[in-house]
Amino acid sequence: MKSRRIMALLVLTSIILVTLDLQGSAATKSLRSIFGTVFRPVESVARVVTRPATNAWFGITHYNDVTAENELLREKIAQQEGAAVAAAASVRLSQELLALNGLPTLAGINSVSAQVIGDSPSNFVQSVEIDQGTESGIKVGMPVLNAAGLVGKITQVFSNRAVVMLITDPQYALSVKIINAPKTTATTVPGGDPASEVTIVSVPETIDPQITVPTVPATSNIPGFTPGTTVAPRTPIISSSLTIPPGTNISVRETGILEGRGAGRVPTVRFVDAAQRFGVVQPGSPIVTAGGSLSLAPPDIVVGTVSRVKERLGTAGPLLEIDIVADLSNLSFVRILLYQPITERTAP
Amino acid sequence: MASRWTRLVLMSLMFLGLQTTILNDMRPFSVMIPVMLLFAVTAGTLYGSEVGAISGLIVGVMYDCVLSTPLGLASLVFGAAAYVAGLLPFFVREPTWWTRAIAIGVVGAVGELVFPLAQSMVGLNGHFQPHVVGVFVFVTVIGMLIAPLLLPVCRWTLKESIVG
Repeated sequence: MKSRRIMALLVLTSIILVTLDLQGSAATKSLRSIFGTVFRPVESVARVVTRPATNAWFGITHYNDVTAENELLREKIAQQEGAAVAAAASVRLSQELLALNGLPTLAGINSVSAQVIGDSPSNFVQSVEIDQGTESGIKVGMPVLNAAGLVGKITQVFSNRAVVMLITDPQYALSVKIINAPKTTATTVPGGDPASEVTIVSVPETIDPQITVPTVPATSNIPGFTPGTTVAPRTPIISSSLTIPPGTNISVRETGILEGRGAGRVPTVRFVDAAQRFGVVQPGSPIVTAGGSLSLAPPDIVVGTVSRVKERLGTAGPLLEIDIVADLSNLSFVRILLYQPITERTAP
Repeated sequence: MASRWTRLVLMSLMFLGLQTTILNDMRPFSVMIPVMLLFAVTAGTLYGSEVGAISGLIVGVMYDCVLSTPLGLASLVFGAAAYVAGLLPFFVREPTWWTRAIAIGVVGAVGELVFPLAQSMVGLNGHFQPHVVGVFVFVTVIGMLIAPLLLPVCRWTLKESIVG
């Protein structure tokens, strides 16, 4: 009988704690904060004491992988050194253009750097802890990046630490853009010698270069911004003409929702509209954040690339599996954008 | 001499230190060894349902404080698992060390599976995936293997003292 009472008491206590915490009670937050302060030295000691054993474990289990990865990385660095210079110039140009047209850019958002000080000690939670908190201006909902791309978002903040939910967590969802390369037609000119075959890659199939596309004033909403070459002179009439110059490959974009799927599983993008103009999504197409007033992150943060496309029947659209560019298993330093989405703001 | 509950808190702090450092880094087959849960279950098998449930609650609350899941979720799961482990004498008249080891492995694994279930009950869906089968098998085996180490530690921690 006493045993049942104790069990009932246990369940009741736990339910009260869960309820208080889900309601955002200050008492549970304080409890976590105090416990974090008390536990931090214990954890530090444990880390120092167990480091040799941890290193030995990694040495045994990952030595071959690390050696192979090291060689691969050296090769990649050599390849990318040149490309990085060109890419940096392109990014600068792009940001200048965006700023010129009054569009938001990542360069205009302040950020805080932080060190990752721990993973979630659980088999079912995908999160990491960082060493910066409210004292650095960090708030719940802020996006977290590393040098490669998006890592996750802040879910809990304390005075000098915070918890980051990774984008692989099943609770994580974010609107993203898939930048699909336009379909191109390849014309092969047969010749006597196979080596002399010439392949001509022409304009995107979906855009006829001979057609003058009438546009509505929506394209001229941004002052001074004209995509392509405007043929028709600006007149008071409602429709104007826009000619896409031949040979220009314009990337087409479509939005979808990225969702984490837990440990060991790659995130997916759903609700991608299978529009004719968008064409078939190609593996390797980059995925970036969509932005928007209700989005969890500002636009154009790199998330990953499409690794696999699963076609689905009906209007469901394709399901895209994503290779995340950020290596979430080996996070050391991250950057928190001081951008709090409207949806994560709490009433004062 | 410290009471059994003081010793339990101190010992749990030490296990939590191991849980968040070495055991969190070393994940054989991508599964973390849930030593905190196994410790709570060991308390149940050694000292019965009542002591087990209270121990599970204390250990669980401490574990909850380092998790990002709602506070009280781990304590509920740990307490319930330790309570169930304390029912062992109803099934085995005089439990030996190896019957306790089996109980620790099995109940610990079931407790680990109940955790994502409890998460889904508070709206944190999506954690119950095929991965849990591997977790169940691994925790069962590892629970049985480390039980001979946990049993004396837990016996010392929760032994009746003059104060306790």
